[in-house]
This record gives sequence, C-alpha cells and structure tokens, in this order.
Amino acid sequence: MRTAAELNYGEIGIISEIDSSHPSSKRIIEHGFTPGQTIELINKSIFNDPIAVSVRGTLIAIRKCEAGCIKLK
Amino acid sequence: MKTNVDVQIPLITLVGPPNSGKTTLFNILSGKNYKTVNYPGSTVEYYTSRILSRYNINAELLDSPGIVSLIPESPDEKVAVDSLYSHPKLGVPDILLTTVDSCQLSRHLLLPKQLISAGFNVVVVLTMTDILAKRGKKVSESKLSKELNCDVVIVNGRSKKGLENLLEIINSKIDRLNEFDKNKITAYNSGENNKTSLGIFYEIEEILKKVYEPLNPDKKIDLVSANKELKVLKEEFSNDGFSPDELTLKIDRILLHRFWGFVIFLLVMGLTFTSIFWLAQPLMILVDELFTDLNSLVVQNFKPGWFTYLVSDGIISGTGSVLVFVPQIFILFLVLGLLEDSGYLARGAMLIDKPLSKIGLNGRSFVPMISGYACAIPAIIAARTIPNRKERLLTIFIIPLMSCSARLPVYALLIAYLIPKDKSWLGGIILGGIYLFSILTSVVVAFVINKFRKKIFTAEESSSFILELPTYKLPKLSSVISHTYNSSKQYIFRAGPIILGFSLVLWFLTYFPHISPQIETNGMSLGQKQNVERSERLEKSYAADLGKFIEPIMHPIGMDWRIGVSLISAFAAREVFVSSLALTFKVTTDDDQSQNTLLNSLREAKIQSTGEKLFTTATTAGLIVFFIFALQCLSTVAVSRKETGGWKIPILQVLIFTSLAYIMTFITVNGLRFFGVQ
Ligand SMILES: Nc1nc2c(ncn2[C@@H]2O[C@H](COP(=O)(O)OP(=O)(O)OP(=O)(O)O)[C@@H](O)[C@H]2O)c(=O)[nH]1
Ligand SMILES: [Mg+2]
Repeated sequence: MRTAAELNYGEIGIISEIDSSHPSSKRIIEHGFTPGQTIELINKSIFNDPIAVSVRGTLIAIRKCEAGCIKLK
Repeated sequence: MKTNVDVQIPLITLVGPPNSGKTTLFNILSGKNYKTVNYPGSTVEYYTSRILSRYNINAELLDSPGIVSLIPESPDEKVAVDSLYSHPKLGVPDILLTTVDSCQLSRHLLLPKQLISAGFNVVVVLTMTDILAKRGKKVSESKLSKELNCDVVIVNGRSKKGLENLLEIINSKIDRLNEFDKNKITAYNSGENNKTSLGIFYEIEEILKKVYEPLNPDKKIDLVSANKELKVLKEEFSNDGFSPDELTLKIDRILLHRFWGFVIFLLVMGLTFTSIFWLAQPLMILVDELFTDLNSLVVQNFKPGWFTYLVSDGIISGTGSVLVFVPQIFILFLVLGLLEDSGYLARGAMLIDKPLSKIGLNGRSFVPMISGYACAIPAIIAARTIPNRKERLLTIFIIPLMSCSARLPVYALLIAYLIPKDKSWLGGIILGGIYLFSILTSVVVAFVINKFRKKIFTAEESSSFILELPTYKLPKLSSVISHTYNSSKQYIFRAGPIILGFSLVLWFLTYFPHISPQIETNGMSLGQKQNVERSERLEKSYAADLGKFIEPIMHPIGMDWRIGVSLISAFAAREVFVSSLALTFKVTTDDDQSQNTLLNSLREAKIQSTGEKLFTTATTAGLIVFFIFALQCLSTVAVSRKETGGWKIPILQVLIFTSLAYIMTFITVNGLRFFGVQ
C-alpha cells in the first residue's frame, strides 16, 4: 500500500487510513489528515525531507517518516 | 497583580489554533502591543490585561499560546491548556473567545468542538474573513452558530470590522453568566482520542457543506472554472471546493523550489544580517557626531575638575557610546519583524529541518534560534514550541551562541576599528561573516553536545516535525514598526540605566583615589598637562588595581588590564563593554583633543609595559571571537534555569561557553600572530 511519503510532485491521493501505532498519529489526525481527504504533494525540500502537502486547503510541512503513516487508497 | 476587586470580575480567555489571530484580537481589546507574527507558535506564554475602558466591559482578558487540540504536545500548548483548566490565580475562564481562521474552518473547527463538548462557555470568533472574501467566499455566522450551538461572530483583525458585534455578544454573555455552570466543565477525554477526533472531523465536514456561501452569487460559476483551470484540486475530489491560497502556491513554487528554495533561503538569511550594518551606518555616524559635539561643548564650557570629567567621560561618553548603536538595533528588529510577519519563517523551518535533525535539533528550533539574534531571553522561552524535550533542551543550550543585539555595539565598534575608512562596505561583510561563524560554531557545539546527550539530557522521546505553512501575507507595517519601536525603547531603557550606572562606577574606580601626579609638567600646553595627569591618575586608580590582578590571564591573549576591566564590566550587560572601553581609553590617550572619538583613542592605545600597540588586528579579532562565545548575561542564565527546570544546563552553559571563549581567543590571537598578522 502506498503512503503519503511516496507521492510524486503534483500527485493527488486519497487517504484511506492513519496508522495509529505511530507516535505522531494523534497529531497527524488533529492536523486534519483523516480518511477520505485528498492530499497533494506541493513541495519537497532540497534534502527530499520534509515534504509540504496540502490537506483541507492548508499547506503542511511534515517529515517523510511521519507522512509514512498516512496510508493512501 | 491581583487585588480583591479583580477576583470578582469575569475572566475572558482567548484560545484558538496557532496563527489564528488571538494576539491580534488581544491587542485590539486591551490596547496592548504584544507581538503578532505570521508563524504558528509566536505566543508561548499567557498574559492578561484589563479590557480597554472605552469598550465598557469590565473584565480581565487572557491571551494564550495556540493549540491544535485540547491534548497538548509541547510545553507552550501545555501552558494554554493549563490556563483553561487549572490556572492557579485566575481559575476557570468565564468566557472563551475561540478564534478560528475562516479560510481553515475545515481544520480549525476541531478545537471549538472539543471546547464546547468539554462544557466551556464558548464564543467562536471568525478571523481572516478578508482573505476568504478575496477568494469569493464568506461564512454564514448564523448557520455556523446553529450548527455549533454557540455564538459566532466575524471580526476582521486588521480593519477591526465586526468588533461592535463581538462586544455586544460579550456583554450579553456577561449578563447571563449565572446560567453558566463552571462545575460542569469536564477534562477532555483522551482515552479514545484518535477515534473521537476522527468523529469530530466527520461532523465538521457535514457542517462545512452548509456554512460556506459565495460572496457574490453570480460569480459562483466563475469560481468553479477558475479552480478547474488551476487544477489544484480536481473537481471530483474537492469535498468543499477548497484549495490552498493561489498566490501562496505560486510564491512557494519559487521559495520552496527543490534547489533554488535553499539557495534563496541562504541569500535571505545572509542579506538579513548584512543589511543591519549597511542600513544603519549613516544613522550611526549622525548619532556619533551628536555626542562628540555635546562632549566638546561640556569640556570647553566647564572648568576642568572632577565634575567636568564626570559629565564628559562618565556620563556623555558612556551613554553616547551605546546610543550610537540604537539605529542598528532598530534595524535588526525591523528586518526580523518583516521577515516574521511575511510567513517565510515557517518555510525556513521546513528547509532547515533535515540538517538540524542531524545534530539533534529540529526544524522548530529555527525560529527560536533566529529570535536569539535579537535577544536570548525570549528566544529561550520560544523553544517551548518544540515538543521533544531533548531537542528543546539542546536548542536552549546553544541559543546563547546566537549573536544577540547586545553584542552588536561591540562588534560594530571593533569592526569599524578593523576596516579602513574608505572601505566601509567591508563592515557589512565582516558582520555577516561573524553571524555565519556564530552559526557554524553553534552547529559544532550542538553536534558535540548531542554526542553526550545521554549524560546531559535524560529524556528520550520520538522526534517529530509537523508544521503548518501559513499563507503569505503582506507584513502589516504599522504593527511591525510599532513593535520595533517598542523593542528598541525597551532596549534603551533596559540597557541604558545599567550602562549609565556602570559608567559612573567605572568612572569612580578610574578617577579615585585622586592622586595629584608629581611629574614635570613645565613647557606643556594645558591640554597636554591635563592628559598626562589623567593617565597618571588612572595608572594609580582602583580600577588599575583590580585590572592588574587579572592581567596574568589577559596577557596570553594579547590584552592588558584595561580590556580586562571592560570585559569584567561586560558581565553586567554586554553593551557596557563599549562604554567601559570609552572611559578607560579616552582617559589614557595622549591626544590633545578630548572630544576625540573612541575609535581614535583605541588606535593610540599602547600596552603600558612594552609600549606596543594594544589594539592590533590580532587582538581586535580575538576580542570579537571572545564575544561570539562568552555567555556574559545573567538574565540568560536565569531564564535558562527556569525553562530547563534546573541548574545543570545553565551552569554547563556558563562553564563551557566562557572557557571556550578564552581558548578560542587565545588560538585566534596567537594563530594570527604566528602567521605574521599583528
Ligand atoms: N488579513 C488578516 N490578517 C490577520 C487577521 N487577524 C490576524 N491577522 C494576521 O495573522 C497573523 C497571526 O496573528 P496572531 O495574532 O499573531 O495569531 P495568534 O493566534 O496569536 O498566533 P500564535 O500566538 O502563534 O498562536 C499576523 O500576521 C496577523 O497580522 C485578519 O482578520 N485578517
Ligand atoms: Mg499569539
């Protein structure tokens, strides 16, 4: 299964679930990453990490390892 | 301060997601001037004020740090949640004003929903509606109010539009306070939290379908096609038709570009710090001349004697030598303020997260570190936004290495001394270089300390970086300037008395015991005679006794007791170093004109035992290096103790940074000499 960390530039994904075993899952959900929402990869930093994704009309910078617990459909 | 009267008046607390406009509203209602910044996490401490009397509401208002949810992750969020539930003095708030960014309802409604279900007396304040209007949308207050079952009011934080409605709602809430039962407030249930949050978000999605309305119904069709054109969100996916701010996306295409983004980042940082020198230079010359004129006026018109020296050497030179740097400090605050309010700092934090995480820091360390260039004290407190304790402690540890504004006068003086008059552009570059060097050293220090982290910081938690990137805004000039003005004023009033006080103490130490020199003064002009007397008097003064005591330590780094005395006095406040140099050196130069500038006095100064020049390139560079490292600020030590919760870290900081300062100065001075630079 793909995760938000594997998105390509400009690609849009739909969240299927959040891996709740990850320690950051609570904060990730609170920032609005919930199943059914669309997310898009907007930018990456020069080091490829963190990435900036848009969710619910807001840009959010997130580390790849944390984006990894956002599972996509 | 609490009096008995205060206890009875209602407490209104501002809470809300980060960057939603709480502090802006606080400033409007209280007439205060706290810092508002386009960065999530600018407020990290709560503060209270009475609401302005002209609004006719007798209540205490409290501003709190932004929180994403009622379950805190970082210390600043804990401050906010504690102020809701367990404030020791103020108790539970009677009314909660919950600010919500109307462009981000989809995320920001989580908190008000949690607050309402916990039983608080909530008023939702919709902010940023002007930005929403630019996108052709508005929120229906009445519909949202019905859905949430609480009062909803739109207030524009920039134009104050809608304020009357808010005041009206607050007044009617206060009248009906007896209907609200504080005892019914429950702690937010954190057990099934993920599930609960998901549930709330589904409810929010339902609410959103109802509350957004087109600003102008005719334009509805245009909007859909505009969105399509942008292809930001394909229509089939867009649940509420919401896409990130267009302009922000466009700007970020450049500023967050994979490659150029980082280059621009380095350029922005470089320009920020070099501009401080370049922009301030003309103003500094102006202030300098003013004080030089004032000084000569005193010397010419007063009879020579202790009083004249007290006024000219002690008071005028002392204060003048520091006030000269007010333009620089003003510009530093101004440039940083503009940068903060633009929304760029969050991008900086993102770009630098990876490298910082390699040395045990976090992207969130970036903003505290940057504000450390203004002053270490608020910077250390700002580190509260870092959730991971180890990363937070390490950030606090290295913040004193950021060259704060108090060091600016010292650098500026020494740089001006180093560079030839016709090459003043070099000054900006050297200053930029000093900042770069201080960044590099803090990186090295962080790296080394990180290696020993298990011994120093016991906490071990998972590291995290999730940061909202706010939409770019044109900095609100009036609030940036007024904040800059206030910070500069604070600087003058905080540093001013210390400097003046120390100038007087030093003047006393250098002037007494008043010995009438027994030397041959025949054939000398009056001016020369005075100068010989003054230097002879200094030689025998109390300050000299003190200074000679530490001379053995100063000698290896190429300096003499006079610099030693100045360095000791710099522990009161770093700026005192300059005024102290002014005092000791202007006294000891042989120059005829007492209205001589400090720079010239330094050029003339010689080591008394050997007659060698004291301020050579090597020793001046050495002094700069000393100031880069030394932790000469007692308030920083105190704040570090408070924020880290113990003496361990502040003591380590003082020991490590002070010995590092001495060792690095030793290496610089002797290294330069070894390569033939005197
Ligand atoms: N356009 C617009 N900008 C606003 C409005 N209200 C606040 N701002 C801007 O939004 C930014 C954030 O405002 P703050 O008042 O610092 O937000 P805060 O909620 O205190 O933020 P934290 O303390 O970080 O949680 C600043 O740049 C303000 O100038 C508004 O109604 N319209
Ligand atoms: Mg604030």
